[in-house]
Amino acid sequence: MEEKETLTIINKVDELPVLAGKIEELAEKWEFPIDLTMNLNLVLEEAVSNVIFYAFPDKEEHEINIMICRNDHSLVIEIHDEGVPFDPTLKQKPDLTLPAEDRPIGGLGIFLISKIMDKVSYKRINNENVLTLTKNI
Amino acid sequence: MNLTKEKIKDFSVVKIEGRIDTTNFTSFEAEVNQLFDSGEKNIIFNCSGLNYISSSGLRVFLITQKKSISLSGKLHICCLQPSIKEIFDISGFSTIFSIYETQAQALEA
Repeated sequence: MEEKETLTIINKVDELPVLAGKIEELAEKWEFPIDLTMNLNLVLEEAVSNVIFYAFPDKEEHEINIMICRNDHSLVIEIHDEGVPFDPTLKQKPDLTLPAEDRPIGGLGIFLISKIMDKVSYKRINNENVLTLTKNI
Repeated sequence: MNLTKEKIKDFSVVKIEGRIDTTNFTSFEAEVNQLFDSGEKNIIFNCSGLNYISSSGLRVFLITQKKSISLSGKLHICCLQPSIKEIFDISGFSTIFSIYETQAQALEA
């Protein structure tokens, strides 16, 4: 069995609580355990806030389309935007062995996504960034 | 997010409740900076009520740790919920912070 939900937000930070609210609704409907809901919220916040902050240098309003799909064994999130090409899978992983003094500020968002999800893939299709995040459930 | 600040012994204890995320991390950072500006250098973050943190929030924890080290102060973190502790583990933060199970332990260390 496969179920799918889609959601469109605009590229503004104010939209993040709207997104979080939708995830809570969906988690209740699909009866997700609380930890999975938190992780789903976290990866979406990280991925979508990257798009909000960096994808649209023109500062105009743009849509970000999100699709969440689950079947018996996995949860798949797809995020589409028409922003500047950006492949987060190419971002360098932070060095977790560094002491606090030497740890760079930032760069953790994409790393968290890659640790929480089982698969992260990026494609540029028809002028769109398509980020696909998969978690086995 | 709700923050409650209290002076206990040599520490300023900041009790964090709710979420720290992209929408509110700047307020959290401003509150912590106020403590440093007022001359505090020993801080405890009591996270018993913290139920969500994203990389924006983690960023403020790291900045606070760097400041505290540069002032030869202490930043102790206590009472992390298991799901938040997991995020700390994943980020490698568990090894760069002094983390305690209870506030009493954090105050004594």
